[in-house]
Amino acid sequence: MKANKLNRRRFLQVSGMAGAMLAVGFDSLAFGSDKSTLKMIMPEDLINGIQINPYVTISESGEVTIMAHVPELGQGIFQGIPAIIAEELGVTMEQVTIVKASASRKYGRQSIGGSRSVRSMFMPMRQLGAATREVLVQAAAKQWGVDASNCEVKEGVVYKKGSKDALPYGDLVASAAKLELPKKPTLKNKADFNIIGKATHRPDLVGKVNGSADYGIDAQTEGLLYATIERCPTLQGTVTSYDADAAKSVKGVIEVMEVTRTVYGKKNTGIAVVAETYYAATEGRKKLSAEWDNAEFSQISTESINTDMAQLAQEKGLEHFEKGDFEASKGQRGASSDIKVKTSHYRLPHVAHSCMEPMNATVHVREDNTVEVWAPSQSPQVQRQFARQLGIPDNQAEEKIKVHLPFLGGGFGRRSMNDSLEECFQISKALRKPVKLIWSREDDTTQGPFRQTSFHRMTMSFNSDNRIGLQHKVVSPAITTQSRPSNGRVPFEVMEAINTHYDFDDISVRYSEYKNQIPIHWWRSVFGSTNAFPHESFIDEMAFELKVDPLQFRKTKLKSEPRFIKVLEKLEEQSNWNEKLGENEGKGVAIVESFGSIVAHAVFLKRENGKVSMPKVVSVVDCGIYVNPDQVIAQTEGNIIYGLTAALKDAITFKNGAAQEANFDTYRMLRMNEAPRDIQVHLMENNEAPGGVGEPGLPPIAPALANAVFDLSGKRMRILPFDLQKI
Amino acid sequence: MASYKLNINSKEYTIEAEPQTPLLWAIRDEVGLTGTKYGCGIAQCGACTVHLNGNPVRSCSLPVSAIVGQSITTIEGLSEDNSHPVQKAWLDVQAPQCGYCQSGQIMSASALLEKNPSPSDEDIDQAMSGNVCRCGTYHRIRKAIHLASKEISNESK
Ligand code: FES
Ligand code: FES
Repeated sequence: MKANKLNRRRFLQVSGMAGAMLAVGFDSLAFGSDKSTLKMIMPEDLINGIQINPYVTISESGEVTIMAHVPELGQGIFQGIPAIIAEELGVTMEQVTIVKASASRKYGRQSIGGSRSVRSMFMPMRQLGAATREVLVQAAAKQWGVDASNCEVKEGVVYKKGSKDALPYGDLVASAAKLELPKKPTLKNKADFNIIGKATHRPDLVGKVNGSADYGIDAQTEGLLYATIERCPTLQGTVTSYDADAAKSVKGVIEVMEVTRTVYGKKNTGIAVVAETYYAATEGRKKLSAEWDNAEFSQISTESINTDMAQLAQEKGLEHFEKGDFEASKGQRGASSDIKVKTSHYRLPHVAHSCMEPMNATVHVREDNTVEVWAPSQSPQVQRQFARQLGIPDNQAEEKIKVHLPFLGGGFGRRSMNDSLEECFQISKALRKPVKLIWSREDDTTQGPFRQTSFHRMTMSFNSDNRIGLQHKVVSPAITTQSRPSNGRVPFEVMEAINTHYDFDDISVRYSEYKNQIPIHWWRSVFGSTNAFPHESFIDEMAFELKVDPLQFRKTKLKSEPRFIKVLEKLEEQSNWNEKLGENEGKGVAIVESFGSIVAHAVFLKRENGKVSMPKVVSVVDCGIYVNPDQVIAQTEGNIIYGLTAALKDAITFKNGAAQEANFDTYRMLRMNEAPRDIQVHLMENNEAPGGVGEPGLPPIAPALANAVFDLSGKRMRILPFDLQKI
Repeated sequence: MASYKLNINSKEYTIEAEPQTPLLWAIRDEVGLTGTKYGCGIAQCGACTVHLNGNPVRSCSLPVSAIVGQSITTIEGLSEDNSHPVQKAWLDVQAPQCGYCQSGQIMSASALLEKNPSPSDEDIDQAMSGNVCRCGTYHRIRKAIHLASKEISNESK
């Protein structure tokens, strides 16, 4: 068999809920009816049936197709949103085929982040499913000449109550599609849910065990070129020289050109090498000998950042939350003899997102100004942005620019920035050829934007009259004010996961912004990942000072918060918290509310033959009503590993303005042999509104771990990361 | 540029490539089998794992000229219909999240079970620690390997 670049076909994957993955082969380019314009075929074009609304299509033979309209990055939303629609529509998941949508404003907002998808779409998608059901019922009622209230729905069939008359959705869709969707449809009662709340298998996983799932990096199209980009080690330096001819002398290299990407208002320059194969592009890149002017950034180092942040921690900072009078409770500098004051400093470093699928993009800007994009993005609606650069009016953007939503090999917030798409668009626009840009792992690790670093000054005070005070002073850069002044206000994102529900007499939470040129960006749980570690570790320090068990201390001090109490009680029971551990064992607990959910972890450690291991983590999650319990568990397991990696593996450190860690040999990931063998996740059952799931499991893991280290060794870990073997 | 004959999933492919081209890119871009993934390019993450004569190797770090005449299996060649015990176990425990690392994980696990049908937890640690999963599915992968191991031993009974 001869491998032929031109006969590669792209596959649209249509996955049935039963798990069968059927692949429909098609060429992305087909000639339109006048044979002169190229028509791009998108998934929507291949759906069989009559569309009732942008999400739901039903064929006359009864096949139900529901669009997965937001990107799937591992969180299970490919199935999650269609499941919510299917529930109210009154069909089983076996009757539904889920199809990945392309980007279009008809779906509303398609971006994902902030553990927001189910939280924000739960009600709208239920309403949409219910409204669709109601027009189908209306169509049946009309046919029978009865009132809609005399009809009921079961598994895609409308029944006339008290008779044998039945009409399947397929027979009703033509007339139902002509009816207007009701604005206020009747929703099901939670007790009648057949899909929501049940563990269902994810249909997208079939393609993820046989290699057929299409990620952005897998995009294939005829005549595809490959690009890699040489980048400035200090991110924002300017290029002074490079040898394009040397790069072009590599066989297969076609073009060398400067491109820019926008990172929070700054234009970072890179030199793209475009070639017939990715290997040729990388070989050409090696020959560029690029020189950069880094003068402006050469002073930046991790040491100087740490010193500056520690200094800022001494300042008063901006007020975020005040209860009682912390300064008074502390006394003037703790001089009064019956006051005990203790201060600890905590620090967390910059870290990288390190999605397993490195940043990439594929774009084809054609001669006729039509564009096809494969957007491995958490925010894929890029049509207008690209249209403006091609002089296409907004109202033609969607017709001329088609955007595929591939599966994402991780996102963690990183893919909410479309810098790789921006770069790839520039290259393809210049060449008018399809181009796939792949960032090397080294680019992905060193180029940011990163998770913020932060410094925390924690102070507790106890009086002889049992007055307890806590102050948490946060110093960190902020995401939303990187390219503008903060105007003396606390940026909205920086206080996530600081628990002011603790029933202390005096609480003070304050913030000082630390500004420098290192770009930072949303990273799984964002400030939850940096605030919870000092906060929940320090709660442990307080419990220790007061000689109380750390879990019981939390229970007493959160007694006015029933959801917290229930989570703690469940954790106490499920982890056998009160059982005495062996001498070489340790346990730690932490509880954090973030993104609308409450999660507590108990971490267990063991020292054996001089080696410390983490045999067990027990978790309790209260995320209100959930769609698929197995995915809540999976996300929590993932959060535990992602958080442990940040706590125990490597930091991104800076020297002369450049990140020092580049690939997985120096920026290491937690691996199978280090991961806890036993992870137990328990879910709370209640009727609270759905909370986030993709992030809330992360913030409590680092403090629970550090608290376990203290229990095991008496050592208080206040700087991340630390080496578990050196405690 | 030279011409190479590659035996992948029991089919022969002829490709044109520079001798030092990593096997990974030949498989993905010349042959068009994109299930094998790029994660690091330096044999540190295992996303690119394929079988070379039955052994798990990192295709990102093998030049295409070095493997001529040997037999390669990629994730696409593991089974026709997702029926390999490892694939079945993976679906049973719903192991993948984003799924990007999973081709490599499955190739490492299937090679392990081929040699050692009933691996201990320590054997699993040893065989699987070269495969990074950023989504943190290690716990389920371990469960899936034990499950597949059970199925394999039931089959051979
Ligand atoms: S890509 Fe080969 S080991 Fe990472
Ligand atoms: S499933 Fe996403 S990296 Fe493993």
